[in-house]
Amino acid sequence: MVSFTDRSGNGALRTVARRLLEGLITAWAAVTVTFFALHLTAGDPLSGLFSRGLATQEQIETTRISLGLDAPLLIQYLRYLAGIFRGDLGVSLYTRRPVSQEIFAQLPSTLELAFSGLLIAISLGFVLGILSAWREHHFTGKLAALVTGMATGFPVAFTGILALYAVRTSYQHLPNGSLSPIQHLVLPALVLGFASAGGIARVVHAGLRESMRKPYMLAVQARGIQRGFRFLWHALKPSLPPAVSMSALEAAFLLSGTVVTETIFARPGLGRLLIDSILDGDYPIAMGIVAIVAIFYTLSHIFADLVSVAIDPRLRRRSQ
Amino acid sequence: MKRLADYLAFFWLSLVVILAILAPWIAPANPYHPVADPLLSPHAHPPLGTDNLGRDLWSRLLFGCRISPGAALLSALLTLVIGSLLGFVAAILGGKIDRILSAVVNAALAVPALLLAMLLVAGFGPGITTVIVAIGLGGAPAFARVTRTICLQLMEKEYIYAAEALGATRPHIVFRHLLPNAAGQIVILATTHYAWAFMGITTLTFLGLAGDPSLPDWGSILNQGRSFLTQAPWFVLAPGSAITMTILSIHHIGASFTAPEFPAHIR
Repeated sequence: MVSFTDRSGNGALRTVARRLLEGLITAWAAVTVTFFALHLTAGDPLSGLFSRGLATQEQIETTRISLGLDAPLLIQYLRYLAGIFRGDLGVSLYTRRPVSQEIFAQLPSTLELAFSGLLIAISLGFVLGILSAWREHHFTGKLAALVTGMATGFPVAFTGILALYAVRTSYQHLPNGSLSPIQHLVLPALVLGFASAGGIARVVHAGLRESMRKPYMLAVQARGIQRGFRFLWHALKPSLPPAVSMSALEAAFLLSGTVVTETIFARPGLGRLLIDSILDGDYPIAMGIVAIVAIFYTLSHIFADLVSVAIDPRLRRRSQ
Repeated sequence: MKRLADYLAFFWLSLVVILAILAPWIAPANPYHPVADPLLSPHAHPPLGTDNLGRDLWSRLLFGCRISPGAALLSALLTLVIGSLLGFVAAILGGKIDRILSAVVNAALAVPALLLAMLLVAGFGPGITTVIVAIGLGGAPAFARVTRTICLQLMEKEYIYAAEALGATRPHIVFRHLLPNAAGQIVILATTHYAWAFMGITTLTFLGLAGDPSLPDWGSILNQGRSFLTQAPWFVLAPGSAITMTILSIHHIGASFTAPEFPAHIR
């Protein structure tokens, strides 16, 4: 008994350590791609300032030297990497404030939106997936399948605008201020969650249908276990890991979806900052945001893997 | 019910293509110039009213049939060429080249594709051409990965071994056996990818990354209409429905393309 717990504890620890190492490499890769994608396409980041008459040629030269942009690309890349470990992502070309400061000012707002969106996506996705499999030939099941299709097909931009329109027209008699909590978090999170729920619902639905066909379900049925329990316990359990991985994949979608929802609902956050920095040509900010988001994305994958392993012991054995 | 949806999807996509071709002849007004008062309702200025600058909304949407689906087509083609080329080269040459290409592709996949595209727009500078190229390049890593997998699976097939045993040269195997057999799956993949490209293009133009605000593409029109939501709901409903109908139709047709599922015991 002692040896058993020891072994599983070690294995789990080793899995976590290996996934973290892999995640570190992925994050490094993401930062590298971000850096080179921007620097190879952008050419001279400061020429925009000059062409818009925001700076003279001399000012640009001194800025170039002070920001280290005169160094070869590889040196700049190594400096950027080294900077990340110190929490230094460079300075904004316009405000001259540190990029990390600009980002961390907006991060809580975006994280709040993304997490509420993910929570809604997962709960709505499971409800839709289970309903469409359980009552497959009934009206409710068909309705759930239809809503799933709508969730994957409707662009975030359009659902967001429709939601905003619905709220604005039905609450016209209210003063503007009383709308703000709904407009600020509930509505954007619902829109974001709805868009991501479709993918999760599909995976849950497919998993349930597959496990219902497995021979062990026949055995469960023969033991006289009720349909509801069979469905929500015996059939749902094996389809959880793919649903968890899908939720991590949806996190990527969610993070790019925040850009759109923040724009529609005029909510401050990383998405607004990103779009503004792209339109202004403020490269260090755009690069910093994408790098941070990519790191979050990597983390969500690791977390999903660990959760899957915790749910499904078969995965544990395979990964050792 | 299923048949009806098939017909609807097909009808909508054909309609968009036909309207795109005929746009200059059937559009009642120039989509770039004001023709009436701003924000007229569909009643006052049929069929769809005017936008905030007094331009005919119907004409703008008609020309948008060319821009939005066309831009997505160009992006998807770019992805198809770059992605499948990378995937094929990695799978066929194997060894060190495969390892390098796969490492680059996996690194690019660590950044969400739409964000990668936004980053490329930041690099190139806003504009519709930029958006097309950025969406095309942003989708390429995922496409390359799937193409590589398809190719590797095909290379394990018996007929490839048979051809090898018969002394066929590598180019012969690749061009006579591998590519023709991979083509079908790649085309299906490209169709489903087109829906993503379309969604990506309209999202980026909606965010104002097309640069030129007079461009009558559906995403930009949706973005302009957003500020006049309660005064002129048709201004957002028209482009929004066009975008949504297109995405739903492509999804529907793409789903009917996928091979029928085999029962587990056959394999």
